[in-house]
Amino acid sequence: MFFLKMALKNLTRHKRRTVITALIIAFAILIYILTEGLMLGMTEMSFNNIINLESGHLQVANQEYWADRRELPLRDLITPSAEVETELEKTEGFVALTERLNFSVNLNNGIDELPVTGVGIDLDQDSQVFELDQYLVEGRMPESGSSEVIMGAKLAELMDFKLGDYAIMLIRTEEKTFNTIDGEIVGLFNTPHPSLNDSNIFISLKTAQQSLNVENQISQYVLRLEDQDQAVNAAAALSQRLGGDLSAYSWKDSAESLVTMLEMQAIETQVILAIILTMAAVGIVNTVILSALERMEELGMMKALGMHQREIVYTFMGEAAGIGIIGGIMGLIMGSIGLLIFNLNGIDMAALTAGGDVTYGFPLSGTIYAGWEISSFVFVFVYGVSISVLASIFPALWAARKDPVKAIYHR
Amino acid sequence: MPLIKLKGLEKTYQQGKIAVPALRGIDLEIESGEFTTIFGPSGSGKTTLLNMIGCLDKSTAGEIFFEEHSINDLNSKELAEVRRYNLGFIFQSYNLIPVLTAFENVEFAIRLIDKHSKKERRDKVMSLLEEVGLGEMADRRPNELSGGQKQRVAIARALIKEPKLVLADEPTANLDSETSKEVLELMQEMNEELNTTFIFSTHDPQVMDYARRLIEIKDGKITKDQRRN
Repeated sequence: MFFLKMALKNLTRHKRRTVITALIIAFAILIYILTEGLMLGMTEMSFNNIINLESGHLQVANQEYWADRRELPLRDLITPSAEVETELEKTEGFVALTERLNFSVNLNNGIDELPVTGVGIDLDQDSQVFELDQYLVEGRMPESGSSEVIMGAKLAELMDFKLGDYAIMLIRTEEKTFNTIDGEIVGLFNTPHPSLNDSNIFISLKTAQQSLNVENQISQYVLRLEDQDQAVNAAAALSQRLGGDLSAYSWKDSAESLVTMLEMQAIETQVILAIILTMAAVGIVNTVILSALERMEELGMMKALGMHQREIVYTFMGEAAGIGIIGGIMGLIMGSIGLLIFNLNGIDMAALTAGGDVTYGFPLSGTIYAGWEISSFVFVFVYGVSISVLASIFPALWAARKDPVKAIYHR
Repeated sequence: MPLIKLKGLEKTYQQGKIAVPALRGIDLEIESGEFTTIFGPSGSGKTTLLNMIGCLDKSTAGEIFFEEHSINDLNSKELAEVRRYNLGFIFQSYNLIPVLTAFENVEFAIRLIDKHSKKERRDKVMSLLEEVGLGEMADRRPNELSGGQKQRVAIARALIKEPKLVLADEPTANLDSETSKEVLELMQEMNEELNTTFIFSTHDPQVMDYARRLIEIKDGKITKDQRRN
């Protein structure tokens, strides 16, 4: 305790140097907290967008369909049954379910044609599971059984559509015959999920089924649960109960490429932190060497009094820990202020991408708000202090191994 | 039984390719309770001899006995243990820790032994600081003390662990004559009161007057060893 007290008092010898070294650590911690906060915010918003606009918490589909789902096939569809639905309702944390039918569409405005994804939605149930209706910027949701459609405002702008226009939707049935739907545009939406705005068109499920000649078949059931954290276990349990060709998939299965990307980005963040803290470690090494050189006669005296090498090393490590703690606290305060500013103002993705459509692979757009986790704060603080202490060991050993006579007379 | 015994002690420093002898066969015995000065001109080997006796440096040849135990074969950790429990040091430039108060500087030495309770430690340090006339200045840092006061703190630091031997390398070199006198009288008083053995080096004739044994060293050899009452 005495040596720790002495170590901390030593930090007051050169206050400016202590503060500058601590600031390097604080800067590293600030960068980490802001990067991590931004990543957390983007992750949370991305997952919310996937859940609320794309996948729900759980999807139930034929296993063959799920494997080829990105091709939007019209084979391996599900024929809804009361028996299956009763089983789905038994899912732990069940809130609501809806049915969807996904299909390929070539959207035509009479001049241009654009491949988009058509989605047949159960208009009575969809809003229980998804939040699409909350993002309508013009018009209304389609009537059930009608040929009314809604699409992203951006897609409409691209195709030169406006509310009340008819969008020609060229579709191909499972029997490879072509069909068209003349969909009256009754609503335009602008969600925070960019690909939904760019390439999805929504129509009544019944109209889609009739036009595609799939009778009452659907691509999948989509379920909403009370809590997103229940989804993975619920999917496993439900798959077991359903048996046969049907399987349940959690929202994480839908977002698997995003999850992989986030794992990679988490590694990137750690690498950034490691690089910046290595710079801070150089600062600590420099500080300890300078301190040792300035206090060589004192070190000689300490050795003359019988102080052991390890006690001298502990003293320097105590000083480094002190710098790490000061830097850590400064970094946490600066990081918290940074996150607060982020969260008060948000970051406009459009500003980040100079108004472009680049979303860095994230299914989000608009204003991003940073997230925060107490575990990240604890981690970066402990990491910063540990790096400081570890960086001090070698210069401290160098100082502690000095010959006492040479140290006393500073030779 | 002598406290310190040196037999044929030699020390040669290597400066590049040149061997520079600092001590050339020193034979010496120091008894417990002595108040001895080692004097001689600069470069005569006084400091080297003190460093050898103080277990700070190793000899090139010869043997050193501390209470009849040879310390020649001890490693640096064992030598540190000998210094920790048996020796006190007073330096020419005081070598106090500037961020600690006078009290804490003295406490520092006793902390290394760590066999006292907090209260015992406090009482002991305060009593010794009062004895060296610094009871009122215990909370002052070294930069708030005069040279003489700093050296008093250093004396208290050397004595706090009740060592068998105190080594002082030119303890009055940075002090004016009046303060030097006070410091030497204090050392003498401590020697008589506590029966602690003192060996100090100097080249100041005024300082030598206080010693009861005078050892002169020239060119690494003892040229005079005189005892007086």
